[in-house]
Formats: sequence, C-alpha cells, structure tokens
Amino acid sequence: MVSFSEIKKGLFRYEEAVGGWVATIKSAADLLKAAEKVKEAGVKKFDCFSPFPIHGLEKAMGLSRSWVPFITLIFGLSGGVIGFLLMTWIETSDWPVLHGGKPLWAWPAFIPITFELTILFGAFSTVGVTLYLGRLGKISRKPVVNSITSDGFAVWIGDSIGKDEIAKMLDGLYDEIIETPDPERS
Amino acid sequence: MSTENVYSIGKPDGEIDNDILRPVESFPTKLWWIAFALATTAMLVMWGIIGYSFKVGLGILGINNPVAWGFYIINFVFWVGIGHAGTLISAILYLFRQRWRTSINRAAEAMTIFAVMTAALFPLIHLGRPWMVFFIFPYPNERGPIWTNFKSPLLWDVFAIGTYFSVSLVFWYMGLVPDIATMRDRLTNMEPKTKLGKFLLGIKKITVRIMAIGWVGSAKTWLHYEKMVMVLAALSTPLVLSVHSIVSMDFATSVIPGWHATIFPPYFVAGAIYSGFAMVMTIMIISREVFQLKSYITMKHLENMALVILLTGMMVSFAYTIEFVVAAYSGNGVEQYVFKNRMGILDHASPYAWSFWIMFTCNVVSPHFMWFKKLRTNITVLFIISIVVNIGMWFERYVIVVTSLHRDYLPSSWDLYIPTWADYGVLIGAFGWFFFWYLLFVRALPSIAIAEVKADEAGDKLAKGFGH
Repeated sequence: MVSFSEIKKGLFRYEEAVGGWVATIKSAADLLKAAEKVKEAGVKKFDCFSPFPIHGLEKAMGLSRSWVPFITLIFGLSGGVIGFLLMTWIETSDWPVLHGGKPLWAWPAFIPITFELTILFGAFSTVGVTLYLGRLGKISRKPVVNSITSDGFAVWIGDSIGKDEIAKMLDGLYDEIIETPDPERS
Repeated sequence: MSTENVYSIGKPDGEIDNDILRPVESFPTKLWWIAFALATTAMLVMWGIIGYSFKVGLGILGINNPVAWGFYIINFVFWVGIGHAGTLISAILYLFRQRWRTSINRAAEAMTIFAVMTAALFPLIHLGRPWMVFFIFPYPNERGPIWTNFKSPLLWDVFAIGTYFSVSLVFWYMGLVPDIATMRDRLTNMEPKTKLGKFLLGIKKITVRIMAIGWVGSAKTWLHYEKMVMVLAALSTPLVLSVHSIVSMDFATSVIPGWHATIFPPYFVAGAIYSGFAMVMTIMIISREVFQLKSYITMKHLENMALVILLTGMMVSFAYTIEFVVAAYSGNGVEQYVFKNRMGILDHASPYAWSFWIMFTCNVVSPHFMWFKKLRTNITVLFIISIVVNIGMWFERYVIVVTSLHRDYLPSSWDLYIPTWADYGVLIGAFGWFFFWYLLFVRALPSIAIAEVKADEAGDKLAKGFGH
C-alpha cells in the first residue's frame, strides 16, 4: 500500500509536447531503456509515446501511481450514500406510502438501488477523472510522429538541451532526433 | 513461464492495423449489403408493429389474464441475458488475466450494448401508455410530488438496466479511443480521387478526430487510462452479476408458484452467461470467416468459449434440478403441481409441456457434446450448438413466464397463451434491430481491440528479451 504522502510527493502532470526535441525509438524494449536514461540524466520535462501501454514504463519514467482509484472510491461511496439517504427521505417523509405491508423505512429493499448508484457514480467519476488527468478532449492535438498510433515509439524532451546532448544520452537507442512539430499543425 | 504463447499472432504492429481495419477502410461487400437489408427490413417491420400497438393498444398481442406477461417480457429477459457474456469477457476475464479475451472482447462488448438496447425496448413498449414512460424516473415533479416506489423490483430494474447500459457504453467507448486515434492517423495518408470521395473523407476525418478526443499515446495518459480500465472492470464485475439478479427478482419476489424461488438470481446469471457466450460464438464464427480474422480469433478461442458454454450449461442444468428437488421437498401442493405441469406428467393435459422439453433438450443435453475435443474443434458443430443453446435459452424464459402464469390458483381463471402475428413480428424484428446496429458497428469501428492485441504481442517479446 502506498501512503498518501508518497503519492503527493510523486504527483505528475500531463504536459503538452511543445518545443524541444523528439527522438523516435524502434521498439518497446528500447523505449523502456530510453526512458530510464532520460530520467537518470535529470531531464525535467519529458514524455514517452507508444501505440499501446507498456508494462513498467511508469517506473522507468519515475511516474508515481495514478490516483484514479481514489476518486472512484470517494464518488462511488457518495453515490451510494446519497441514493440511500434520498430514498429514506422520500419513503419516510416526502411521500410515505405503505407498499405490500412493508415498513416505511424498508431498508433492505433500498439495497439494490443503493448498489447500482454506487457503481454508476464510481464509473462515471473514473472516466471523468481519467479524461481530466490525461488531458483528453483537446481534439486539435496531433501525435508527435504520425506512426505513434500504429507502430512507432518516441521520447519527447522539453528541457532546453542540445540535440547532441540528447544523442549522447540515448546512445544507440534512437532512430532519429527531430525538432518537436507544432501540435496544432494542420 | 514459457515464452511461446499459443495466442501470439506474430505479426508486426502495422500489419495488425491493416488486418483489423480492413473492413472499416474498404467498401462494404455484397454480402454485407444483403445482411444489412434483411436486418433493416425486419427492424422496420418491428417498428411498424410497435407504432400500431401505440395507436390501438396491447390488445393486438396474445397476452391475457392470467398470462399478462408474454413474448415481450420473454424477449426482454432473453436479450438482457445475451448482453452478459460481453461484460464477462471485458471485465471478469480481464481481472482473471485471461489472454484469449483480447481478440473477442471488443465485439462482445458491442454485442452487450446492442443487446441491452434491444432488451430495454421491451418493458417500454409493454407499458400500456408508453408515452408516460417518464413516470418511472424519480425526479422532483409537479405531480404531487409523486415519487416512484423504491421497494419495487421493477424500479430496481430501471436502475440496474440504466446503470448497466451507460457504464458498458462508456467502458466500450473509452476502450475504443486509442484505436480511433489509429484510424485518425491512418486517414491522413488517404488520397480520394473524386470530389464526392473528398467530401466523404472530410466528414470521416472530422468525425474520427472528434471521437479520438485528442489521443496521442502519451505514457502519462496511458498510466491513468490503464488504471481506469482496471477500475471499470472491477466495477462492472459486480454490476453484471447484479443486473440479471435484479431481473430475476422481478419474478422471485412475487408469489407466483414457479417464480417464488430463492435460487433465481444465481440461476438467471448462469443462464445469461450461457446464452451470451452462445451468441458470441455465433457472431465470432461468422465474422472471422467474413472479415478474414482467423489468425486473431483462432480455434483455441472458439474452444475456450465452448468450454465456458459447457460449464455454464451444467450450472443451468443444476439449477433446473434444484428447482424440481425444492418443489418436491416443499410439501407445497401448488408448487408441486406447477413443476409436474411443466414436465407434462399430470393425469390431465399440460398444454406447454412441449416447451419444457425443447428447453431441456437444447440446454441440458446439447452442451455435453463439448466434452469431446473432436466436436468442440469442429466449426459446424460449434455453430449449430451455439444456435441450439440460444433457442433453448429463449424457451427457458418461455417456460418460466408462460407455464407459471397460465395455471392460476383458481382453476376458473386458467387460460391459454396463444401468441399473435404481432408477437412473432416483434420477436423477429428484435433480431433485425440488434443486427442492424451490429452490422453498422463492424463497418464503422475496429471490431478487435488493436492496442490491446499489440500490448499482448509486445508483452511476449519483452518477456523473451529479458528472459523472464
């Protein structure tokens, strides 16, 4: 279990790949090594791009754990609590009707809806927070290299360091190093 | 751990894109147009009948008193059940790290969504006054305030189906986002020749760009995304189990003999997965042939599905047996009568015994062919069994609904249920409605999860490279 302070310390933010250099990489295995090297070199602003999630890349990049599940927990629980309290208020005071001889506050009968609302709130908050943290929704954004969504891999380095320095850092791992294209290019 | 994986496709990533996106990026074949025309015709017939029933009322159906639930409710339970296999594959098999789910999960999830869309139609059109449907949603209103009855299983159903549909939809869409980004970036290389082609491509480019919501494959996005998939899978697992449990409570919480049974929730869930897997099997056998995806959906995948069908088929058989044992042991004459009537072993006529025996043959006998490797690796056998199982599962709901209702406590109110042309029309039209959506889906979106297939392939390579 990771403690809250650990998570807070390692919080990371999504950064748009603007400025700096893009190094294209040949394979997922090389991308893992490249991420490790960039991190060790002390580069602050960098990101990796791949067509699929790569196991262990977050460790190689030094990213902390995602806090998506915490949001799910909070919203899921509040969905359930709100639903249960709302049903309690409606059935006992706002519209108290006897149904089939059950007591007004027939709490076991509220369980299915409480459960469904827990799931509903949990799921939608999970998706919402993922869209926010991953900065999705900016439809004008373009990939740094077009092949990223097919079979390409790349590292973006936003710190102001020279091309030669990056070449030395990623010795033998990169294909080519290009200037970061304008993400809004048409 | 062995580095050779039976599910490895062994193709480079670019080729995987080409294979999976071929149906999306080419013009539909004649076969597709024929299938689409048939589905659309059936669907339009259904909408015609539904529209007519809105005008003249439900008297055009075969339902009566005491058999107040007929084909509509049978279809509702049937189609909700079909949907369950998709969630089982996308959520439960994901949590169990079942590699073989990767190739089939996108199509199965799509099936879930379209099946739930079909199912949700039925309670709606079964309302006497369907334009009053907003009464089932609890919201502050000027009518009293009149609230819904939160103690009623029918309202639980509204919440269960509503949550199930919306959560499945976002889960499916979020899974599609990286693949839609792949489509988006492939479109940039396309050169239309005609003016019309240019116009259509322009529309497609804009649509795909919006649907890809700016996905560029950043590791920081992937990290949250992967967590999200995990959390949604963990939420969907109890959700899918709850949905058919709640559907079963529509029956189980009533006092009708044959319905009032505590075994109903697990019995319904097992049946749902059983019929759902049969439907996935039917669809997969067709689409791997038509779209040349045999290297993605292999014999091994079909064999695994056959084994799930065997297992859930036995669970369903077990539930049938328990129902009879409980009735025999209950000492309740009415309950015992219902089950004897189902089997047709009374000293007077049982008008629906034939439906029980159809159900029994299809559901209890047919899955046992799957014990034999020769049979469960034979496409023809699998295809026939997958359809037989779904016929059986439809009749299971027929048995539950009709045989329990047609013999009331008072013999003076006994009646027969005779479906009319409208019942049959809507039954067939519902398949048209389902396949209308499914056929559009296979043409518009990648029916195999591209990014997931690539991730599995890369996993194999990385495991080889690092020697663990």
